[in-house]
Amino acid sequence: MANCFALMGWSLPVIESMQKTGKPFVVVSFPDFEPYATENNIPFLPYPLDEWSDTSNSLDLFEKLKAFNADVAVPLYEETVEWAGALNSIYRGDARVLNRAFLFRNKAMMKRKALIGGLKVGLFEEVFNKEGVKAFMKRLNQANLQLDGEADSWVHIKPFASAGTVGHRLLRSMSDIDEKCEDSDFPCLAESHLSGREFSCEAFINKGKIRFLNITEYVKLGYSNFIPEGHYLESKRDLIHKQVQKMVDIFGIEYGMVHPEWFLTENDELNFGETACRIPGGHILELCSKAYEFDALAAFVLCHDPNITEEELDGIFPAKDFKPKNYHGNVMIYPRKRQFSKLEIPEDLNNEPYFVEHTLIAPYEGQKLSGDRDGFGNHFGTINFRGEDPDRMTELLKHYEEVDFYV
Amino acid sequence: MEIITDKVFANFDQSLKEFTSSGPLSRKEKATKLASQIDILSLTSNGMAYLYKQSAMLDKAGIFEETVWSEPDKLVPFLVKGTLKAGHPTSSFEILSELRILRYAQGEDVHDAISADEAQNFLEEAIVHNLEFALKEATEETRIKMTERELKKVFNLFSFIMSEVDLVGIYEKLVVEVQLICAQRPILTRKARELITLVKRRFDTSGNTENDQNMNVFIDALFQPSDGARVHSDKDAYRSFIEGSDESVLQSEAESMGRYMNATGLVSGYHAILLRKLVNEFPDLVPVCLDLNDRGIAEWEKFHKLVSNLILETVSFDNCQCIYGLARMLGRNLFSRTPVRSALGNLRKIRVNPQVEKRILKSLVNPDQDVTALQYLVGGTIKVLGQPLGVGQGNNPTCQSARGMSMWSQHSPAKLIDMIITVATQNNLIMRFENYDLVSNQLGKGLLDRMDYNLDVVSVVLVPHLDKIYNEMMKLATGRWDDPHRWVNLAMYGQWIQVGFASCYDYLSNSILDFRGFTRIFYASFHPSYNGDQKMAFPNPLGIFITNNNGVMLGFHAISLLRVDKSPTGEIRAYFLNPNNEGRQDWGQGIRPSVNGQGEKPGESSLPFYQFSARIYAFHYSSLDVKSWLDGVPEEEITKVEEIAKESWGKSYFWNQQIKLW
Repeated sequence: MANCFALMGWSLPVIESMQKTGKPFVVVSFPDFEPYATENNIPFLPYPLDEWSDTSNSLDLFEKLKAFNADVAVPLYEETVEWAGALNSIYRGDARVLNRAFLFRNKAMMKRKALIGGLKVGLFEEVFNKEGVKAFMKRLNQANLQLDGEADSWVHIKPFASAGTVGHRLLRSMSDIDEKCEDSDFPCLAESHLSGREFSCEAFINKGKIRFLNITEYVKLGYSNFIPEGHYLESKRDLIHKQVQKMVDIFGIEYGMVHPEWFLTENDELNFGETACRIPGGHILELCSKAYEFDALAAFVLCHDPNITEEELDGIFPAKDFKPKNYHGNVMIYPRKRQFSKLEIPEDLNNEPYFVEHTLIAPYEGQKLSGDRDGFGNHFGTINFRGEDPDRMTELLKHYEEVDFYV
Repeated sequence: MEIITDKVFANFDQSLKEFTSSGPLSRKEKATKLASQIDILSLTSNGMAYLYKQSAMLDKAGIFEETVWSEPDKLVPFLVKGTLKAGHPTSSFEILSELRILRYAQGEDVHDAISADEAQNFLEEAIVHNLEFALKEATEETRIKMTERELKKVFNLFSFIMSEVDLVGIYEKLVVEVQLICAQRPILTRKARELITLVKRRFDTSGNTENDQNMNVFIDALFQPSDGARVHSDKDAYRSFIEGSDESVLQSEAESMGRYMNATGLVSGYHAILLRKLVNEFPDLVPVCLDLNDRGIAEWEKFHKLVSNLILETVSFDNCQCIYGLARMLGRNLFSRTPVRSALGNLRKIRVNPQVEKRILKSLVNPDQDVTALQYLVGGTIKVLGQPLGVGQGNNPTCQSARGMSMWSQHSPAKLIDMIITVATQNNLIMRFENYDLVSNQLGKGLLDRMDYNLDVVSVVLVPHLDKIYNEMMKLATGRWDDPHRWVNLAMYGQWIQVGFASCYDYLSNSILDFRGFTRIFYASFHPSYNGDQKMAFPNPLGIFITNNNGVMLGFHAISLLRVDKSPTGEIRAYFLNPNNEGRQDWGQGIRPSVNGQGEKPGESSLPFYQFSARIYAFHYSSLDVKSWLDGVPEEEITKVEEIAKESWGKSYFWNQQIKLW
């Protein structure tokens, strides 16, 4: 068992889960959190994680963490993946651990690695300006044997190192490139549109093997998901398990959790979208904890530990034959109007048997949405559902995603 | 919708379990989720009853920890409405808070910090301040602001409370509330009218108790201020009754209405119909109808032509309240001042700027269709001139602007009218601060974010501009060595303000510096026993610490000290204008400003001098005149004030005992 986990980033739910496990940990985050940490007796090391300099670097942080006897670093956020990678390189005496962290932070490098290893990915390229995107789309059109007058092939652009949907743009035509792309988007990754049904999974890895695989059914990306997966994806579980293990092997991941996104085609082919190795958004681990009745956040941290025993691992995760009793889903609510003054909760939600609870908050007077939203922006609250039928769950999530809660 | 399923209760119990078993870190999040169950339960009566049962337990389990509801003894009944209107989850927490207080009031549970009587009293006050919910008659503004669901929750809460508590106490409190509001003679009578109307409709006032009698005076003043109005309650019926009446009937109508107006400060639409008739055909009865004093009668006789024109141009069924202002204006002999006559003459001829017109119309609830914005503005001006102490800030953070209007109305009425003319025609205003001309239209936002239009017409016109200019002056004067008001007050309010300025707060050391010296200057300047019995000539803009009923510091507030005098019982009291028009205040430590019964003129608040002194942090004074009186202020008097201050707002500051060179 690890001497002490260094949690890279501030997350109250994770801290609370760790307190419950009784395992030693220290939180490394910005000095702003120090007063709160002191007040609540949370072991804390203030560090300027947004700075890389003579006084702020992994060697220095390594020295400072000695006081806490830390020997495993756990990235909680996209932005702390390299920090954790660098520290774990030192802890494990393996320089390549840091390189692997870079893999997660550069989507072009990630795709290349996946391609070399034999995963099916789309066509991709690093682009440096609008002309580059146009050239890419043109080559894609050619490859797709476009005839005069036919629509252009879709191209996605995304920053190399951002979480989830942040900075992601879908370009459906040449003119889209002129209209939607900003100079500040570049350089970035351009890739062809992958078809298939999109879903994510969360694979908890220890000693290079999947210890637990969660599959999350996306009803609408960024808005709603539920766990466990519905009937169709469930029938593909073995296939998915195999493919995820393949990805883990290709990337050489030994410890932690990966959160890959896949596109499942009608021919049962899995196209690789991308993967992350931090806590996924959308309250996924919260749903996962409820559905499988274990503490997924604690499990996330603990499976980073190279020295954990098999018994300890078995104690963390649900039993191999565990069958969730219910489907747990949520829908994140965003205002659909630019200007709104009230929170309006529809009557039918009260008596909806699947409804569990929500965290919606009334807007303050005259609240407006700011013009630029990153990714999906911050949602205003979440509605949680629980029930036995995945199809009914899908229907509900679809319905409430369309409802105007903010008017 | 009335029946809720067991599932809802089961969900509540599940969230409750998660809440009680959560660690301190995720407590807030769990509380938010639990609030979503409270939200649903509060929609139905059996849900409300269920919540009621759980409420005290939830309180003990810490659902209010680290929230504004954490200490039930410090809650302010007046603020309940704002929280209920804020929407979920705030409103859901507020509902739960009321329910637990109800349990403490009923003795079903016990809380260390609040007794059953205090809890009962809190609920009664909360009901008085939330009659629209208790009586299920939401105002227009509330209906716009709240969703149907939220309204339903709140209605449900109050019917639950009303079914549990004794209503006698509430009726008594309502009568007192109406009396207190009207005793202050506010310019804006909307709230008083709403309260009186509600009591009339929902309570039995036909008994013979003192409360019934007192209440009926106000009800009659609005609904039947004369025999004629009692019989002919319809507007047109009353008009034809008046047309067909002889002089003796008109005389008795005029006497009755004049009397009710003077007793309550309220005017009915009938009064407007009668007055117009009298001006046209029986001018000798006008002084009776306005219940004028001798000075007022003399003024009427001298300027009856001008005043008659003004009445015919301005007074209408809806624009009737200005009749009281006019009576008071005649009593103040304002028409004898040439500048006032000229300025009023100018005002009657202006063309109102369309933006300003919009603001004026927005502030009216049920305007007469044939009365123009200008007529309302002239009527509003008459009210401000007649009742300088009736100016209020409404629900706006603009005490400074209200204080200014009140001051100009008292000491420079023509300047005020001029200012009204400028803004009404230009929708702009220029004032000078030191060497800068500040043009309101070129300035950024003031303190006002979104104006609450529940304001009198003149305020609606002036406040947006005064507020911006005041805020700009404050910006320009910030960062100097003392409170910016030292410079801003002089520029904002005019030459009546003394140049000397004392503040007990020291900007450089961020502490309370030489409070004893500060208090000594205040006593030597204003207390008649120690300043050679000098009266104040002009109002003095003061800064005070606002504290809650436990003496805990809440914030800062601007008021005007108007005079210091002996009360009817021989006590030296400070009489002041509090522009927030909130009569029932409790500042803690037994300090409760009174608005009548202690020698106050309508609109004044008052406190014993030493108590008042213990809440101020800044005032103006004559630094030259004060010198000869400083040594005469007794040390024990200063100590008394210092102790009260230290025990209350003083706890929020570091106290520096160093002596300051004032």
